[in-house]
Amino acid sequence: MSPTVLDIADLSSGYGEAIVLRNVSLSIRPGEIFALLGKNGMGKSTLLKTVLGFLPAKRGRIKLFGEDVTALPTHLIARKAIAYTPQEQTLFQDLTVEDNLRLGLRDDRGFAEGLARVSEYFPIVGKRLSQKAGTLSGGEQKMLIVSRALLGSPRLMMIDEISEGLQPSMIQRLTEILLAERKRTGTAIFVVEQNVPFAFSMADRYAVLKIGEIADDGVAGDELAAARVQDQLRV
Amino acid sequence: MTALVLDIVTTAAILFAVASGLLIILGVLKIVNFAHGGFLTIGGYSGLVVTQLGLNAWLAYPAAVVAGIVMGAVVERFVIRPLYDRPLDAILATWGLGIIIGQLITIVFGREIQFVQTPITGATSVFGETYSLYRLFLILAAAAVAGGIAALLNATRLGLEARAVIMNEPLARGLGINSGHVRFVTFCIGAGLASLAGALITPLSSVDPNMGVPWLVNAFMLVLVSSVSLASLAIAALTLGGAQVLVSTFISPVIGGLTIVVLAALLLRIRPAGFGHG
Repeated sequence: MSPTVLDIADLSSGYGEAIVLRNVSLSIRPGEIFALLGKNGMGKSTLLKTVLGFLPAKRGRIKLFGEDVTALPTHLIARKAIAYTPQEQTLFQDLTVEDNLRLGLRDDRGFAEGLARVSEYFPIVGKRLSQKAGTLSGGEQKMLIVSRALLGSPRLMMIDEISEGLQPSMIQRLTEILLAERKRTGTAIFVVEQNVPFAFSMADRYAVLKIGEIADDGVAGDELAAARVQDQLRV
Repeated sequence: MTALVLDIVTTAAILFAVASGLLIILGVLKIVNFAHGGFLTIGGYSGLVVTQLGLNAWLAYPAAVVAGIVMGAVVERFVIRPLYDRPLDAILATWGLGIIIGQLITIVFGREIQFVQTPITGATSVFGETYSLYRLFLILAAAAVAGGIAALLNATRLGLEARAVIMNEPLARGLGINSGHVRFVTFCIGAGLASLAGALITPLSSVDPNMGVPWLVNAFMLVLVSSVSLASLAIAALTLGGAQVLVSTFISPVIGGLTIVVLAALLLRIRPAGFGHG
């Protein structure tokens, strides 16, 4: 097995001429949950988009499972057993729940088995297969997004601010599910968040992104670290 | 009265067959393929080649589909693909391509009007009215085209991926879908459909190097009022095509030729989503 799932070295990226990320380096190990924290506009989503190839790296290197993917097109990166849940426009609103789920797999093999598994986590998903995704409530849409991500048993999940707008009970349920899935499959999880308690409730390590640079990092189990990060996000 | 209703239905069927390829290319590639008329002309001349070779007239249809797909593959790869990031340039390129196709056909086949054999001849009685069997066949052909496209979109993995690309291409790519491949296949299918439509309509009229132009204009207007929906396209073809038949029959064939363009423009002025949901 590769020593790292994701290895980002000296990465700079942005939109057009504007540089948003500057010299960012971080790595995620197999089975690790890594939380990237920061306020709005600090470059968290930009980092995920650059890893996925939506934005070109202006400098630096990105390795997935030991392979350099810095210059690969998005669809080839996404096919490397990665599940990506963006922050916005995460579902095909006019497709059914079932079609949205099927798109989480490269083909239809294993769909029934995967559906049975995610339906144990989110029974409502299995019961609404023929409903259009856009007609689900906000919380149900989040369940569908996570279900789609889990369907293919990815080796790396990249989750962008999934807790936004969710009730505390749903956030707690989501935490349990992600931890259970990590235990079941050994997937690594890259969580991008502003919700420090949610991120720290499951993360092994964290980093704080401030104006495009890593301002702090460490082990997430440290309570002092949680308080420090919370303060950093308030400023 | 029966003949009038049948004229409306068969005209709608022809219009649907002609516009469907344009619609799916617009839906997936987000460009209006102004070479659509050129592909349609290729289909018409495929029928002519079959006629000149003395082959079975039914072979015109598979020949047209193959010619359209091959031509579509070449055009997508060498003309459209380099311009995906410049949609306006891509549209202009397809416009120029349509002109080039017409000129190449003129060089090879000449400028004169020519005729193809029809696979179905004669007429039959429908509710006491004698009506062309070939025009009735076109209703089945259009239904087959509609059914084929619907099955492709709704019952295949490619169709699911195409719908995903239509709705949200960045998200589709983030899920591992090769949107470039989806575009390529869609363009080939759209070109094949245009060419098939050309082969279907030529037994009703004739072939000439510019035969695609009037069809392109009407197909373009129908697609504009259809909001990239096959169902809406069928409704638009029936409604506006029906109006065209009525105006041609009761007022003037010349004015009838303008009916679809004028009504579509008016409809878009009143309701920008046309027959679609918006």
